Amino acid sequence: MRSRTVSQPAMSFEYIMWMFTRISGLALLFLGFIGLVMALIMNARNLLDMPTLTRWTFFPNPNHVVNSNIPDVSQGWANAYWQIMEMVIALFGISHGFNGLRVVIEDFIGNTFWQPMIRGVIFLMWLFFIIIAFYVILAS
Amino acid sequence: MKVTVKILRYNPEKDKRPRYRTYHVEAEPTDRVLDVLEKIKGYQDGSLSFRRSCAHGICGSCAMRINGMNRLACKTLIKDLHSDKIVIEPLLGLPLMKDLIVDMKPFFEHYQSVKPYLINDEPPPLTERLQSPEERERFDDTTKCILCAACTTSCPSFWSNGQYVGPAAIVNAHRFIFDSRDRGAAERLRILSDQFGVYRCHTIFNCTLACPRDIQITKAIGEVKRAIATGSLD
Repeated sequence: MRSRTVSQPAMSFEYIMWMFTRISGLALLFLGFIGLVMALIMNARNLLDMPTLTRWTFFPNPNHVVNSNIPDVSQGWANAYWQIMEMVIALFGISHGFNGLRVVIEDFIGNTFWQPMIRGVIFLMWLFFIIIAFYVILAS
Repeated sequence: MKVTVKILRYNPEKDKRPRYRTYHVEAEPTDRVLDVLEKIKGYQDGSLSFRRSCAHGICGSCAMRINGMNRLACKTLIKDLHSDKIVIEPLLGLPLMKDLIVDMKPFFEHYQSVKPYLINDEPPPLTERLQSPEERERFDDTTKCILCAACTTSCPSFWSNGQYVGPAAIVNAHRFIFDSRDRGAAERLRILSDQFGVYRCHTIFNCTLACPRDIQITKAIGEVKRAIATGSLD
């Protein structure tokens, strides 16, 4: 059977967001895995309890570990690397979630008068949460 | 055995909204739900309306909700329902016309929108457009569709928005997209990558469960998504 190919349709917004959802979902798991492994390398097994380690895994913010047995969070647990990690996680997580919200709402409203307005509101909410998240990350 | 059949009835000339009516019917466990409906219509209430044609699971006329699941009345045996109480309702998501009859027009409009026919502008060969058994096998599963609408009307995405083309239309697009003789795949993929195309499918699998022909519908939708993403029709 010979291989058959077809010219791909122009990238639609739905296609781009569908692909982004899959990539960001996998990226969040991968970034969480990195956070978990690096925490364990930094002796999390003796320094953190399970809930603290879980919080750190999915959002590696020093505020999550300040009340644990870590003598000094500035030694490995709070630096620019983790801030960049947090920002990437926040960007992917918030975008993934708000796109999900958009999809659910558009499942119901469809291509109507309300669609551009709903998209605008969701975009503003997305922007607000990104700004808040980045502020928290950079201020902590 | 005696079965209690609760049917959602609606007469647009009399009723403001559908209402249930209960019938008691003597039936064999090996009788089909269609036989029970025929008994009710023939001996108890001639005003009961439902679609039927072949009564052999091939025309797709008698799809309805039986005990909460979309099934063909002519393929559903009483014994397979594991209950002597049967609730029969019209398909969801399409406008109700009368009793168990829904308006299929929106369903067929979506079906037509994906161009469910062979597109090939190349000059026809002297004999026929040949195809290997492997090439035929590639889309064999989706050729089984009988357009009963059981899949589309079991889909929550379609319930929430009738603009979605629905699983049946995608299945019939798949049947031609992956046909080696067809040249209209790019056009169909463009249609299905639209806002109300394949991306409204959230892989709920209701369609696959409902299909009376056991078509792997969610898999077919996934293959169309992959074709859009990669351009490969293998």
